[in-house]
Amino acid sequence: MADKSFNAFEMAQTQFDKVADMIGLDQATRDLLRNPIREFHFSIPVRMDDGSVKVFRGFRSQHNDARGPSKGGIRFHPQETIDTVRALSMWMTWKTAVADLPLGGGKGGVICDPHNLSLREQELICRGWVRQVYKNIGPESDVPAPDVMTNAQHMLWMLDEYEVITGKKQPGLITGKPVGMGGSLGRTEATGYGVIFTVREALKHLDMKPENTVASVQGFGNVAQYAIDLYTQMGGKVICVSSWDQNDQTSYAFKRESGIDLQELRDITDRFGGIDKEKAKEKGYEVLPGDEWLSQDVDILLPCALENQITAENVEKISRRVKLIGEGANGPTTPEADKVLERRGIFVIPDFLANAGGVTCSYFEQVQSNMNFYWSREEVLDKLDQKMTSAFWSVTNLSDKRKLYMRDAAYVIAIERVAQACHDRGWV
Amino acid sequence: MNTTQQNLDKLIDTLEERVKELNCLYEVEELLHKPDISSEEIFTELVKIIPPAMQYPEACAVKIEYGDRTYTSDNYQDSPWALNSDLRVNNRTVGNIRVCYCEEKPELEVGPFLVDEKELIDSISQRVSNFIMYQKLKQVFNRWASTKEGMSGQKPGEWKVVLELIRRTDLDLYGRISRKMLNHLVWKGVEESEELLQEFAPSSTYDFDEVSGESNIPLEKRTLTTSNALIQKVYEIAVRHLSNEELLGLIQKWMQQDKTAFLVRAVSTKNTSINEIADAIRRYYQLTPEGMELTPSSLLGVRAGLIRRIFSDQLEFINIAKNYIRVTDFRDLLPRVIYPANSHGKLGGKSAGVILAHRILRKAAENNELLQDIKIPKSWFITSDVMIYFMHFNNLEEILEQKYKDISEVRKEYPHVVLLFKNSHFPPDIVQGLSMALDDFGEVPLVVRSSSLLEDRLGSAFAGKYKSLFIANQGSKSDRLNALLDAIAEVYASTVGPDPIGYRAERGLLDFHEEMGIIIQEVVGQRVGNYYLPSFAGVAFSNNEFRWSPRIKKEDGLIRLVPGLGTRAVDRLSDDYPILIAPGQPGLRANVSVDEIVRYSPQKVDVVNLKANRFETIELRQLLREFGNEYPGIEKLASVFEHGHLKPPTFNTDFAEDDIIITADGLIRNSRFVEQMRHILKELQKAMATPVDIEFASDGNDFYLLQCRPQSYSKYDAPAEIPKNIPAERILFTAERYVTNGQLRNINFIVYVDPDGYAALSSRDELLAVGKLIGQLNKTLPPREFILMGPGRWGSRGDIKLGVSVTYSEINNTAMLIEIARKKGNYVPDLSFGTHFFQDLVEANIRYLPLYPDEKGIVFNEKFLTKSPNALYEILPAFSHLSNVVHVIDVKQAANGMQLNVLMNADEDKAVALFAPPGSIASTDQEFKLQVESTGAEHARWRLRFAEKIAEQLDPTRLGVKALYLLGSTHDATAQAGSDIDLLVLFEGNEQQKRDLQNWLEGWSRCLDEINYLRTGFKAGGLLDVHLVDAKDIKNKEDIFSKFDLIDKSGIRELPLHQPEKTKK
Repeated sequence: MADKSFNAFEMAQTQFDKVADMIGLDQATRDLLRNPIREFHFSIPVRMDDGSVKVFRGFRSQHNDARGPSKGGIRFHPQETIDTVRALSMWMTWKTAVADLPLGGGKGGVICDPHNLSLREQELICRGWVRQVYKNIGPESDVPAPDVMTNAQHMLWMLDEYEVITGKKQPGLITGKPVGMGGSLGRTEATGYGVIFTVREALKHLDMKPENTVASVQGFGNVAQYAIDLYTQMGGKVICVSSWDQNDQTSYAFKRESGIDLQELRDITDRFGGIDKEKAKEKGYEVLPGDEWLSQDVDILLPCALENQITAENVEKISRRVKLIGEGANGPTTPEADKVLERRGIFVIPDFLANAGGVTCSYFEQVQSNMNFYWSREEVLDKLDQKMTSAFWSVTNLSDKRKLYMRDAAYVIAIERVAQACHDRGWV
Repeated sequence: MNTTQQNLDKLIDTLEERVKELNCLYEVEELLHKPDISSEEIFTELVKIIPPAMQYPEACAVKIEYGDRTYTSDNYQDSPWALNSDLRVNNRTVGNIRVCYCEEKPELEVGPFLVDEKELIDSISQRVSNFIMYQKLKQVFNRWASTKEGMSGQKPGEWKVVLELIRRTDLDLYGRISRKMLNHLVWKGVEESEELLQEFAPSSTYDFDEVSGESNIPLEKRTLTTSNALIQKVYEIAVRHLSNEELLGLIQKWMQQDKTAFLVRAVSTKNTSINEIADAIRRYYQLTPEGMELTPSSLLGVRAGLIRRIFSDQLEFINIAKNYIRVTDFRDLLPRVIYPANSHGKLGGKSAGVILAHRILRKAAENNELLQDIKIPKSWFITSDVMIYFMHFNNLEEILEQKYKDISEVRKEYPHVVLLFKNSHFPPDIVQGLSMALDDFGEVPLVVRSSSLLEDRLGSAFAGKYKSLFIANQGSKSDRLNALLDAIAEVYASTVGPDPIGYRAERGLLDFHEEMGIIIQEVVGQRVGNYYLPSFAGVAFSNNEFRWSPRIKKEDGLIRLVPGLGTRAVDRLSDDYPILIAPGQPGLRANVSVDEIVRYSPQKVDVVNLKANRFETIELRQLLREFGNEYPGIEKLASVFEHGHLKPPTFNTDFAEDDIIITADGLIRNSRFVEQMRHILKELQKAMATPVDIEFASDGNDFYLLQCRPQSYSKYDAPAEIPKNIPAERILFTAERYVTNGQLRNINFIVYVDPDGYAALSSRDELLAVGKLIGQLNKTLPPREFILMGPGRWGSRGDIKLGVSVTYSEINNTAMLIEIARKKGNYVPDLSFGTHFFQDLVEANIRYLPLYPDEKGIVFNEKFLTKSPNALYEILPAFSHLSNVVHVIDVKQAANGMQLNVLMNADEDKAVALFAPPGSIASTDQEFKLQVESTGAEHARWRLRFAEKIAEQLDPTRLGVKALYLLGSTHDATAQAGSDIDLLVLFEGNEQQKRDLQNWLEGWSRCLDEINYLRTGFKAGGLLDVHLVDAKDIKNKEDIFSKFDLIDKSGIRELPLHQPEKTKK
């Protein structure tokens, strides 16, 4: 009964097996890549505010570091399990590989609920985590980052503990630091711009000119806003965006046939991407039900909000005119819907390629920290463009050559790169 | 131009007059403070000092008479244009000051004099009188001292010397002390004194005949001599039975008591007016500027008396307050109380509460440095009887009877009442009082709060039923006064508003003679641009009913804090969030991740707009953009949001330009605020012997207490009484951990996500589908009539195996969110406590409860949840494939017409979910018991009347009805404002008849709902709950009982139907 139930790690392994079959991977490499190469389990005793001592369980999984130092976040989660951490570390290996970053994959976590912890107690957990594992992480071996329920503050506590223990300044230990404390500029824009760098290349591939295209966007958060920003700079026209309305507890689509004005909408948007619908009406926007973004008569769809938005039920609403979907969000398309998209021949830039801008920028942060020299925003975005463009073409060329669906091509290229690195090192 | 000039001149004149008067007073003080000055010298000087203070010094002359001597100014000649003021010592006139003009001058306020001048002369004569008395006493003491010296060695006679001095200076006192001595002797059981008592009694002093007879001989002399002789005897006896020390001690004690006896008398007599009490207190402090020592018992007595007269006659309140509120407090308070002549009013609950709390904290501050410097805003008070006075003055008495009208009429008439009140006039003396208050306040915004005698009493919380109004108080004096009068009238009108009247009717408080005091408070705050607002404000509770972590205990308390006026913290606003802090656990925050903190930070702020002269809600972002750097204490409230991180502000932060999030981090981490709050709540709870809630505000520098009252519960979060001996089959579950207060009644649907079924789902898509299904059910099921029960953590995002992945919008219609923690091996998983949307739950009043079914002694009826018919097939057939995981239970169907009720009691840390017939749970808690006793009966009565009417009008033949029964709350007479009428129809007709019947009843249902709305303000969409039963299934009455699980037969009643002739055979 229990083994039948949903297990994130088993799911990740199944997915891997599928691609491994596709490319005919040898057994040894499979055995190596099906499991993390290294795993650490440890206890973190913490003196609580009330004087008692509580012991927390901590983990770090390094799935593979054949291509470079492991990279991945640290989660604080009350029901963290090693299987979840394993699955997520494997995912990180593919993610860095598809973006062609010289990094491996890792993940870590602590079983705890920050809602039940004071900041002081959280600090002690962070420092305790580093004390247990400092020999096995480092700028040249494994680089943590913020994840679920951890943020820049946690990263700085960890960095500080590490530097105290090693007696050196090593800001490259960790990413997700604030600007001025070893963080990188351009991080806010990275994901949204990254999506559009791939969209731009995809348009070239489809032989379309950006200035002749029209797009509809789901979401009006960070990713969506910067995607719209860059896309309109390229001459494209966005005619519809959807956004979540906190008061009405539903989403609305805002449409203007002549094209939306990003700045105009930003001015009437709250911090969470909620557009004021009354003011939008005044400014000449049509306010429609939230899912209308999907059925617009456009060339490009950019889902930049939540997972599971394009489903078997609504996929048929997508206009015949749509040629390209850029997945800015994580997992916006369900597998059933994906099959329909593939059948209809819509060009999909899969999420872990399209939104790789974030992890690429983390890599840049690490590089800058190691040099102790920080680039301007333009320099960061310029390098991001190069990285994203080349990553896109590698996947697309493979897709063309082997007649693969883009999503499959992305997986194949990622796994092949890692397998190749293992092979080159003589591991398998 | 010309008039302005004139006004200016007048102003300058007035100011000059004031300066002259002050000079004069100053000189008088100088004079009296000269060491060893004689009264002669004083009066000689005084006649020279006074004239220059008057408007026309050259024409002014002064004469002072004292004893047998007269002092005049050089130019003195008597005239009819004069001011007189007596010199009085010990209530006797001993002299007189007369100020007159030698020639006629233009008529002013008091003859040719100003009121100020009259007051000046009065205060001089009073000051001089005191001086004379002091001189006299000094002489007496000097003499005593020298006598004592002369008698050194002769100790036994000391008391005699004292007594002799008293006899010489104050004969009355001498008499009273002697009488007390006699009483004392009798009390001690000295026999010979008893005989004396007979003679001493005033009635026996004179024969009746003598007094009423023809005799012309003056009686006075004889009385005195008789008394003197008697008194001699008293002391002769006394010497034999009491020691020298005892005698001296007694005499001294009585001397002191006697000085303050008038105060004791004033407060213990029922018919003394506030005016007289105020006078008595003034006199008491004039006599003894530092406050004369009363004996501890009479001191408590005086305090209790004053509290009863001024604050509240509630015994619990007096009992606590008398230990904290001192007589001095009344001296300071009464000058700022506005009351009509002969007032017997009180200040009301809110005023009493805040003053008491302040005094409790003041006392606690002696040993606790954290409690020092807690302030209350400057306040003026209007006594409760002013409202009646106001109504009499405008002939509005009949409005008092409003409360006995039907509530629907009250609701309809209310707008007119408000209009009427606002267009009425205030009596001139009250207007004058308010005008003085405005002068005292100056041009600062004010809040006019109701302080009713019912509101905020210990034991009955009348929270928020009456109005509090903010006024900007800007502009000309007359504009400000009008605005103030307008606000007071509106607050008065609110006593006859439908909500408070309905509330009082429900609690049987209608006949309580409701009078409302008013408290006018300065709004705590500072000017920011055109706005006026406190740095932050809010409410705090000594009991935390909304714990977001199992580590927070109930006694850790709760603070709801907002920037600006506290109005936003008091109310639950579903679109904005206050900052929540548990003072006992300040480190455990409700919102932890940056995203949560930002999302649940306050977005709006309530302010007083000084320019527009009104209360406003504005966007915080806009306020900060305009005036961020002027906002008081912003550095303690704000965090800077930059590149996705929150940082504390620095010296360099520009609050107008940077992206500011209100987190109150600085306040929590780098100030004493939270610690201070914890102590305040602890001390108040200890002193008042009950949990309390307070309102507070800070202007950026000082901390102010605005209100304090026993912690109130809204109707829905009062602790529910957990019934004992519930039959096991009636219980769905019990809980004994992390229980909050409250009760959910009449739940009709349960949505149960089976933990095993959910765990068995193998794909992520299936898990996500469960979340979607819940979202659909949330839209489909009737809002607030269903509860959600599911495994682990509702709202999980990443690892959704741990709990159903939903957003707040997918659960926002549930009445309750239940998380079930089943044991796995020997490990019980942590629950989320609703953290994913904790603040949303709190603001929307959605209850949260964690269940631990595998713990000892816990009932969890899993069978009912999994084996009852699953309504999912009918409600959302598209999701039938998930029927193993999600069970939707129609409670009435599955539990024989009963509904589910969840009763929660945080004090006992117990909760139970039980099935009961509709309406039967209503009477389990205290509050609703009361309601049943009072007007619950009324709700039931008219429902019954209409039920009978329905039966009467129903055509049984046409509609195929065999019998009609009434059950539930209308029948039990437990119906409340929101109850429906439960009807049971024995039906024997065909489909067409069934439809007709349903339509016919639907019409009634809607009409009755409208009627109920007018009466109570409750609207349900339909008032009838009709249970249709096929007559074939029912052989006899017993069948009905078993079908509806009615335990005893009195639970149902047949309504006689109208019988057409032909069916009556």
